[in-house]
Amino acid sequence: MWISILGLLLGISLGLLTDVQIPPEYASYLSIAVLASLDTLFGGIRAHLQQVYDDKVFVSGFFFNIVLAAGLAFLGVHLGVDLYLAAIFAFGVRLFQNIAVIRRLLLAKWTEKRG
Amino acid sequence: MPKRNDRKSISKSIIFSLVFLVLGFIMAYSYSLSNQREAENDFSGGTFFEQKEQYRKELIEQQERNKELREELSGKQGAVQEFERSVTDGEEDYTAYAREAEELRRFLGLVPVKGSGLKVTLQDGDYSADYVNPNDYIVHESHVFQVINELYISGAEAIAVNGQRIHGNSNIVCTGPVIMVDGVQHPAPFTIEAIGSPDVLTASMQLAGGVQDQLVNDNIIVTLDEGLDIRMPALLSE
Repeated sequence: MWISILGLLLGISLGLLTDVQIPPEYASYLSIAVLASLDTLFGGIRAHLQQVYDDKVFVSGFFFNIVLAAGLAFLGVHLGVDLYLAAIFAFGVRLFQNIAVIRRLLLAKWTEKRG
Repeated sequence: MPKRNDRKSISKSIIFSLVFLVLGFIMAYSYSLSNQREAENDFSGGTFFEQKEQYRKELIEQQERNKELREELSGKQGAVQEFERSVTDGEEDYTAYAREAEELRRFLGLVPVKGSGLKVTLQDGDYSADYVNPNDYIVHESHVFQVINELYISGAEAIAVNGQRIHGNSNIVCTGPVIMVDGVQHPAPFTIEAIGSPDVLTASMQLAGGVQDQLVNDNIIVTLDEGLDIRMPALLSE
């Protein structure tokens, strides 16, 4: 567990220390990637709470979703369609759903423990 | 079996750390990027007018500083003169040198001067239908040159154009309807003041076929005021 926290800290410090400039039109890809990774993370937590968690699904979903979201946004920019809005919408909705499910599961567990 | 389990957990934690590394990197990078953008916005958020205002403020500050420095300089010059005067009082030998220095300084325009002299005013000629080209009846910088040179030749000790002292390195440039004396624009009419013997200066200006005649030929209105008490500022005052 601690090694993953180390990885998180390392990633944060790397991200803060990098001062590579990217053009502003690519910044939206980054925001979509953030959303996708957050969505996958909460999905993983939910799956873990529902005891259907699988390593491979989580890891592959994490990277695949990031790449897919960025690719979709890229495609959208080149086609003149705001496809990144679709990605933001989809991931946003799923993020809230996942968080809602997690909350319910945690609440159920808590009441079980007390009761 | 426990060995295999160990290996599995190690590989699992490595994968997790990789995932978290990517996550942390993306989030931190996007955070720093948006921060940067905000800072840039702050910088370029100043509109053109604000920038102009800022530059103006800086300019004013510089000018104030210049003024302070100038005052300091004139104070120091006064101290030097005081010192020279005390030397003059003390030792007779240095009197001549100090006087010469004083005189040279007056020529260089470093000290304010006053005295009697001649005031020449050059004014554009009246518009006349006879002349198609307005250049034929306005004062040009060459006319100002002529007057200044004539005054210097006839022994003027100090000359000022529209109240601005002329020194050894002065330049007068024609820039359209105005002339620039050392970078300061002056419009017509031009008042050229010279300190010296008024009689001599006036006589030299009024020589037959001399400067005044030439200027009048160029349709310029020339006015001579002699014997006035003329005061000139030091060169350093802006």
